[in-house]
Amino acid sequence: MSMPAVELEAKTQRKQAKPIEGVKKVFMTGNESVAWAALAAGAEIMYGYPITPQNEIMHYWTRLAPRYGKQFLQTEDEISAGFTTCGGVLAGKRAFTATAGPGNILMQESMSMAEMLRLPTVVIVQQRGGPSTATVIYSQQETTLTCFGGNGEGLRIVYSSSSHQDLFDYTIKAFNTAWKYRFPTFVLGDGYQAKMRESLHIYDPAAKGIKMEKTVPFVGQEGMPGVDRAPAHLRNTFNTEEELLEVITGYVAEYQKIAPEIIEYEVIETADAEIVLVAHGIVARAAWAAVRALRNKGVRAGFFRPITLRPFPAEQLRKAARTAKKLLVAESAQGQLLKLVQEALYGETVPIATYLMPGQGITAEELSDYVMELRSNKTNREGGSR
Amino acid sequence: MTVVPNMPKAWRIETKPHKFCPGCGHGLVLKALGEAIDELGVQERVVFGCDIGCSLLSWDFFNADTVQTHHGRTTPVMTGIKRARPDRICIAYMGDGGGYAIGAQHLVNAATRNEKITVILANNCNYAMTGGQMAPTTLPEMKTETTPYGRDVEETGYPTQGPEMVAAITGETAYSARGTVANLRQLKNYLKKALQNQIEERGFSFVEALSACPTNWSTNAKDTWHFLEETMPKYFKIGEVKVPVKEAKESNTSQGNHTKQ
Amino acid sequence: MTKGEIAQTKEAYVGEYASGKSEVAINRALWLFETGIRPVILVDLDLVEPFYTLRPLKKELEARGIKVLAWETLNTIGLGETGNLLQPVVRWALRREGAVVIDVGYGVAGIEKLRLLERPAFERESLKIYVVINIARPMTGDVEAVVDYVRALGAVHGLINNSHWGDDTEPAIIHEGAQVVTKAAKILGLPVIWTTVDQKWQKEIGSYDVCGNPVFFLKRYMPRAFW
Repeated sequence: MSMPAVELEAKTQRKQAKPIEGVKKVFMTGNESVAWAALAAGAEIMYGYPITPQNEIMHYWTRLAPRYGKQFLQTEDEISAGFTTCGGVLAGKRAFTATAGPGNILMQESMSMAEMLRLPTVVIVQQRGGPSTATVIYSQQETTLTCFGGNGEGLRIVYSSSSHQDLFDYTIKAFNTAWKYRFPTFVLGDGYQAKMRESLHIYDPAAKGIKMEKTVPFVGQEGMPGVDRAPAHLRNTFNTEEELLEVITGYVAEYQKIAPEIIEYEVIETADAEIVLVAHGIVARAAWAAVRALRNKGVRAGFFRPITLRPFPAEQLRKAARTAKKLLVAESAQGQLLKLVQEALYGETVPIATYLMPGQGITAEELSDYVMELRSNKTNREGGSR
Repeated sequence: MTVVPNMPKAWRIETKPHKFCPGCGHGLVLKALGEAIDELGVQERVVFGCDIGCSLLSWDFFNADTVQTHHGRTTPVMTGIKRARPDRICIAYMGDGGGYAIGAQHLVNAATRNEKITVILANNCNYAMTGGQMAPTTLPEMKTETTPYGRDVEETGYPTQGPEMVAAITGETAYSARGTVANLRQLKNYLKKALQNQIEERGFSFVEALSACPTNWSTNAKDTWHFLEETMPKYFKIGEVKVPVKEAKESNTSQGNHTKQ
Repeated sequence: MTKGEIAQTKEAYVGEYASGKSEVAINRALWLFETGIRPVILVDLDLVEPFYTLRPLKKELEARGIKVLAWETLNTIGLGETGNLLQPVVRWALRREGAVVIDVGYGVAGIEKLRLLERPAFERESLKIYVVINIARPMTGDVEAVVDYVRALGAVHGLINNSHWGDDTEPAIIHEGAQVVTKAAKILGLPVIWTTVDQKWQKEIGSYDVCGNPVFFLKRYMPRAFW
């Protein structure tokens, strides 16, 4: 099918054009927000494999890619998608992939390599039910996997999005965080966000004063290796325990040093709180709505939302916990956020109630009802749990 | 008056009508398989494995023990069962992704080791259940969700030739064939020979079945059959690619390995 | 159309992913029902997400008198996975008597899903295909994009301006949508059937949009469909 010259010229001109000019208010699904964000961020290549519920990220990327001179490869599986993404960043390109569920499990090997080689990979995860195939729909059961899934110390950066605006903002940010700090970076969404429709503002990062971090190739730099420049000799294996200890200690020190620059969270009205709701991702929206409803009823409820799950805003949570009479951790998993909270709060004595619904959505009504229930059960039992 | 359809005995009537789309090839492949199982009398020994994708809709299809595994992992799970319980007739059922993409390494290794299992693969040129993305068997120029402008063979290569690949790497006692739901009698015969290879403990057996997916091809009945009977065979040759040497000798014909032109 | 023709109308609502096809189709089916047409049949031809669109609303709509051809929640348990599945009854939708309203799902070849339906034996009834457009979606965000998109669909019979920002909608986007879609329609030589608007804007938006197209006010059902 050949194209008339005029049309071809126009299409070529569009290649030079930016995918988004200025700031635009739009209406779309979460997956689309991710695809558009990657385009806006100047991502150059996507590697991927189909798995529900993130397929539309690939569908929109493949439709838009040729217009803007971007590339795509559908790999044979997620192991390959993860490793080809490593390849893409090694070649100095803003490369990314997206996955969910069992695909996320398969990416752990490649992400471990990225952790060891300090590769600026970007992966968007749209959580689905687990374990195994479970449901294609929704959960928050990949929190542990995305934060600590490799055979290492989880030196990764994980942003938990709770709206399409978040998905857009943090996908762009993920490229910058990854290339600046060189830790594999993840945007953790879920199947509801992926498929839901809502409005958001998409934008050209330059229009908001966001400067994209430069990318530098790890391999294939100019000049003859050994003559004009040192060759890149990249390895992820070491001979002795001492060597490994030195490398890991170095990485950990660096990770801890940069953590304050990366950590993000939201904390609202915890200073006088009798109960502070702690939630991440889309459940945070329900928690926030519940807190407002409770305050209207005269209940002194507070809200804490970690946005970065790695590094976790531990200091900030401790501060909020110290003024609270009780915490309520709500998540669509059996304690994956709870684990992070408990680790952060070690030594604090605040009782922690839980509302755990693995694989199921949580509404604001459920949470505010549960808080009222907790208040009426004046038992001595520490925490209440569901 | 209720007419009870003529179903293979191996089929589980309580889960019928099945859930495959109207016009889907899976129902036909599984019918041929059911009849093969009936005619060989091995229903009691069968362990049936299905993959992720549309093949997973067969998880309660037969009156036979069934395991729904992970994507591409049906071959190794059936291999594992067979090694532990050689008396079972292990059948791994999957689609083009489960066999030629994510499951390719398992298919290659099971074939190389000449595992005494039977792998049956439904080839409909796309990843149907997830919405019609490109598969290794997608035809050149074919439009899918991840090749919205048509499959570019320069970028992504040509459709996988599965039975030919298997034939090239297995030993002499393996069986490899490609049938089609457009010829159920022939497909059933291939399936019987494949299962026979396992029953008589000779070696690996593999049957690819050209299958229809009108839902993702967006074709009406006429166009579906045209694609299946005229178009697909241009890229996928129907016939036995490899028969076990013992059988070839016995049948006294010039069958045996043949390479695809 | 005569009253008799409307009673046998066969309409398909196509459009980009999340453009508003399902909402328009449901409202249209209910409107036809309210004019006294029997039967009115609503058909779910959304194949990628058959379990997110009409299915959850099926019982409610059937209680109101509409016949809905879609999966029932009860029949989807045990399927093993929510995914691409065509419910057999849907194939024969066009062979039915009465007004048939079809919600056609997305995909690179969304409109081509119509080929999965068996056509009537005699082509006395033609299937009207209407394209639902929301200019707040970048792929159909301006006149050029809309024209490109509709041209690629092949033969269609009209455009519908369904421009909005969801809960965040303001009249400005509805007006802009009307202008863009009307301009595109002129280039394409197609009529603008309606501007569809959430009924909460009844006061601000009258019976006609800024380009003189009739307005069809929608009651929102889809928010109840998604989980």
